[in-house]
Amino acid sequence: MNNLLVTALPAFLASLVEAVEALTIVLAVGVTRQWRSAIYGVIAGLAVLAVIVAVFGTAIVLFVPIGALRLLIGGLLLIYGLQWTTKAILRAAGAKAKHDEERIYAEEVGRLREEPPVPETGLDGVAFLVAFKGVLLEGLEVAFIVITFGSNSGQLMPAALGAALAVVLVVAVGIVVHRPLSRVPENGLKYAVGIMLITFGTFWAGEGVGIEWPTGDLTLILLLIGYASAGLAAIWAARTALIARRGPQVPAQAG
Amino acid sequence: MSWLRRFGRFLYDFLVGDAWELFVGPLVVLAVAWLLLQMGMAAVFVGLLLFVGVLVVAGVNVVLSLRSSA
Repeated sequence: MNNLLVTALPAFLASLVEAVEALTIVLAVGVTRQWRSAIYGVIAGLAVLAVIVAVFGTAIVLFVPIGALRLLIGGLLLIYGLQWTTKAILRAAGAKAKHDEERIYAEEVGRLREEPPVPETGLDGVAFLVAFKGVLLEGLEVAFIVITFGSNSGQLMPAALGAALAVVLVVAVGIVVHRPLSRVPENGLKYAVGIMLITFGTFWAGEGVGIEWPTGDLTLILLLIGYASAGLAAIWAARTALIARRGPQVPAQAG
Repeated sequence: MSWLRRFGRFLYDFLVGDAWELFVGPLVVLAVAWLLLQMGMAAVFVGLLLFVGVLVVAGVNVVLSLRSSA
């Protein structure tokens, strides 16, 4: 049960963040162009992502030896987790602009209005392609996390289900509110997922190079606490440095 | 050939992006950890160094980003 949760949770949280971003694009396309084509684009994008997860996930489990798999996957999780975490630290400190779904939505709507008019009959190619590309590109990061977590623990399905659940949740909320989900604390979620990726990356890559962790699975908790604490300290230090440089007008950053 | 180049660029953006130190850093830290284990250092110390190494990589990136945002 714990293993299922450990595999599904990072995929769920990562998927939540990326689904919110994809929803912004799809909403803009649907409202400005044509809902039917946008929905077809979403379905096609999700189908391609499912194929990528199934093919690469299965191939990795079947053909890569467990030692090499841990090193490869641990290393990739470290790289990817560091990217997510450091960006979240810089955003929380005020050194980098946060994702603003309302602004992205307005820009996307403006850009789509400049495209050729929607055909009176049949599908709208622009709506299909923009929705398809949005879902595919945002979803690739989730697919990567699902494949790495799922294949290393041999539980591809719970990881995929965790991601799918987040997509369903975001789509349901999107249908109800019918506007970009700007109140989701994207940066906080990215920070949490980044810390999880670094934690598992360190643990698995460490095992891959030959470390036998003396505290066993408890090491995961210790690493998580260590990385999360260091991350919070880094946010504080970066914010203090920015205030010292720019004065106290660095905006308060929550979420 | 152009699709291969586009795929290569996509892969580069996906893994390296705008912070090469976050790609090279973990690889160097893992290589050093492996070397230390081969030299006979105790796993608990190598594990600790791995943790510290990852923190250093993250710290370097944050400092470089803060400097470039100045």
